[in-house]
Amino acid sequence: MAQSDLFATRRQSAQAYILRRILTNPPAALGAIVIGLMFVTALFAPFIAPYAYDQQNLDQIEKPPSAAHWFGTDALGRDMFSRIVWGARSAVFVILMVTLVNLALGIPLGALAGYLEGWADTIIMRVADILFAFPGLLFVFFVASTIKPGVMHWARSSGLSELANTGYLDYAVVILALGVIGWAGLARLIRAQVLTIKQREFVLGARAIGVPTSRIIARHILPNAVTPIIVAMSMGLGDIALSEGYLSFLGIGLQPPAPSWGNIIAENAGRYWRQFPQMIWLVFIPGLVLAAIVFAFNFFGDGLNEALNPEISD
Amino acid sequence: MADPKPEQSLVQVKGLKKYFPITQGIILQRKVADVKAVDGLDFEIRRGETLGLVGESGCGKSTTGRAILQLYRPTAGDVFFKGKDLCKLQGEELRKMRRHMQMIFQDPYASLNPRMTVGDIIGEPLEVHNISKGKEKKERVQELLQIVGLNPYFVNRYPHEFSGGQRQRIGVARSLAVNPDFIVCDEPISALDVSIQAQIINLLEELQQKFHLTYLFIAHDLSVVRHISDRIAVMYLGKIVELTDRNALYKTPLHPYTKALLSAVPIPDPVVEEKRERIILVGDVPSPVRPPSGCHFHTRCPIVMDICKKDDPAFRDVGADHWVACHAV
Amino acid sequence: MGTLLEVKDLRTEFHTQDGVVHAVNGVSFHLDEGETLGLVGESGCGKSVSMLSVMRLIPMPPGKIASGQVMFQGRDLVKVDDEEIRSVRGNKIAMVFQDPMTSLNPVLTINTQISEALELHLGMTKEQARKRAIELLKMVGIPEAEGRIDDYPHQFSGGMRQRVMIAMALSCSPQLLIADEPTTALDVTIQAQIIDIVKRLKRELGMAIIWITHDLGVIAGLADRINVMYAGFVIESASNKELFGNPLHPYTLGLLGSIPRLDAALKSKLTPIEGLPPDLIEMPKGCPFYDRCRYRTEKCANENPALELGAVRHWVACWHWQDVRKLRKQ
Repeated sequence: MAQSDLFATRRQSAQAYILRRILTNPPAALGAIVIGLMFVTALFAPFIAPYAYDQQNLDQIEKPPSAAHWFGTDALGRDMFSRIVWGARSAVFVILMVTLVNLALGIPLGALAGYLEGWADTIIMRVADILFAFPGLLFVFFVASTIKPGVMHWARSSGLSELANTGYLDYAVVILALGVIGWAGLARLIRAQVLTIKQREFVLGARAIGVPTSRIIARHILPNAVTPIIVAMSMGLGDIALSEGYLSFLGIGLQPPAPSWGNIIAENAGRYWRQFPQMIWLVFIPGLVLAAIVFAFNFFGDGLNEALNPEISD
Repeated sequence: MADPKPEQSLVQVKGLKKYFPITQGIILQRKVADVKAVDGLDFEIRRGETLGLVGESGCGKSTTGRAILQLYRPTAGDVFFKGKDLCKLQGEELRKMRRHMQMIFQDPYASLNPRMTVGDIIGEPLEVHNISKGKEKKERVQELLQIVGLNPYFVNRYPHEFSGGQRQRIGVARSLAVNPDFIVCDEPISALDVSIQAQIINLLEELQQKFHLTYLFIAHDLSVVRHISDRIAVMYLGKIVELTDRNALYKTPLHPYTKALLSAVPIPDPVVEEKRERIILVGDVPSPVRPPSGCHFHTRCPIVMDICKKDDPAFRDVGADHWVACHAV
Repeated sequence: MGTLLEVKDLRTEFHTQDGVVHAVNGVSFHLDEGETLGLVGESGCGKSVSMLSVMRLIPMPPGKIASGQVMFQGRDLVKVDDEEIRSVRGNKIAMVFQDPMTSLNPVLTINTQISEALELHLGMTKEQARKRAIELLKMVGIPEAEGRIDDYPHQFSGGMRQRVMIAMALSCSPQLLIADEPTTALDVTIQAQIIDIVKRLKRELGMAIIWITHDLGVIAGLADRINVMYAGFVIESASNKELFGNPLHPYTLGLLGSIPRLDAALKSKLTPIEGLPPDLIEMPKGCPFYDRCRYRTEKCANENPALELGAVRHWVACWHWQDVRKLRKQ
């Protein structure tokens, strides 16, 4: 054989290429930094926060930002900076768990619908359509107002009042509600991907060498559907953070004193309106943090999309 | 070519048909017509030979290859291979047979999974047929890379890092991994550049001798098919119209379509081109949804007779293993 | 016959993320009125890009015509303003592409698409344009042209679409028709039909043609003169018969040896050109064919040969063409 044919063309690592394209895209790079900061903050919240999130200091009520309290204090004398830091932990926990539920439902259901077609497809996709058409907020109200009290009651009566009081149930409600709603969009996306990828020749190639169906889905189809899933997810993460925020704001999400950005805004919103603009930091700072996260995920998702599909950006 | 018993047949195709239904309606789908891609084929592929299958796009040649390998389940007919009727095998039984029959695809860009390394791609058949694992598998993959003329050092690279010709070599290595008897080569060179085509043709010929392979070589380029095949079958609109030894097909073509096809192939020599008489066929290939009555070729045939519009000519041996389906012969 | 088109030292490059792709690297050639020039080479050799550069149809950016002149009827098409080049395109120089489906607008009828150029360049009225469009369709052999003129592109087969493309290209009676692999996507029997039509139209209308192809067989039956391109260079240029009868560049020779001929005696093996074309981003310093050449020497690695006269009206870019000729004859 020819010697020169032994040398492949340009050697290029896909990961390095994607990374370079994200880092050279300013909004995406900024998004990545903000997201990174949030995760670090969430992970090291106890070390970063100077006070406990529920520690009250009654001498320091509604103080504006200072050296001791960077983001000021609220009406109960709690350190706003600490509460926001701990809030990051709540947000990250909810984001990750909801995404996990979305993926656990969306990937297998979407892949099955796309690969099998026929009846399985019809049933799965009609359920997804219903979830899509159904107002998500209504569903959460429903869970929070009917199922949750029932479970609480059951927990208290069966001697598990600890569980009812710690607030774990609040997390469970938020995660379950957002998770069950969110998979439909993901399943649709995956189904569409699977339908196209199934037609590609390398799938026929895998069948030709005798690869079993389950392995074809897992090794040949899904890995090729990953790109749009990652992009949709990174944009969806911002939405989850926002949803958790508004659920808590409306009082059906995480309950005080749990530190959630939505809670923090809700607790302080009343004051903010009455005493505008003196107490502005109480709402403005947590609002800004939440907005920054949502933008960061969207910028990063856009950048990722461009990096993974270079042809759309030029 | 170098087989001691060239007459022994390895694959027998009997009455093979593949229709693709055309459906209408979104919720209640009903069949409105069929695309008759392959419409009744009878032929055999002999052990150790290369049978060329030529025809223009839409004639059903690729579908034939895929239907033989049961990648498309035939609508009717039988395919006997190693004493078994592949059309009657199901599930796991069929999957196990794939060890003995393989395929090389046309498009080296589309037929390799872009997310798998070359090592995984070539190693996959070894794994799914429980042939070898771990270190043994790795060694076999490297051996295969060497056999097809690639550096074994490339195992951890991805398909996008290779040129078209190199990818086609990867595809060849994958099909060889399980030591098959029979390989369907579906236009393996038509996506490649001219100077690379010859590399792959030579490789396929070398491998055939070395591993006693039997090929069904599907292509639209008659010059290439004539070069590589022992016998050639010419397809038109779902049917084989002529099948014979490559020399006979070139020197004494009997079917008017074969003649037209041969005359349309350009020859890279201006002196020859100047003197050539071309048979220019009128019109286009009719739709396989509604093929013409009688002989499918009668709408374009320069020597059409009345009988051709009514009766479908039988595919018969006219002597010296020369098969043809034409009323005028 | 006068010179219709003269291209001098044309260089086209593309600025990409990975670096500068040197697609066309100083191509010079001329074309006489009424002449058919074949441009032969493999994918990436610059044959299409050089012609798109002539028409100023390469996307800029990332593309850039780095240098060169394209003299057409006393004007340098590289330098004229956008309005002037538009008056040349489709009017004086027309182009036919490989895939007629992507070059035709799927939502407009054939009549609308052919008439557009006639109304634009020749100032015809709607009725005049329609009449002319029907004439053109008849000229390219579309049966029942009157009935089919209001059809949409998808209602035509591939071969018929390519005929429509040719009819459109010829609508303004161009002096030059650039055909970019117009038969590559077609079957051989349809290809034979199209080539037949083009030959007839050339006889009748007398326009010059530049036919871009990778298929040596097609060009052998069509061209007066042939330029062989490799890695953005013209490496050999001669009349059709001279090129096939007396190829002097190792690459041309290699191409001829690597394709099986339908009429030749059966050989046991083909002689492929081993290896791959060079990376157009990191162009070699010397001859671009060096890696794959069996006649290479030290000199070839360091100096890129220019075109020189090897026989009568036969130019070749190789340091060793004399050796090639000697060895070939043995």
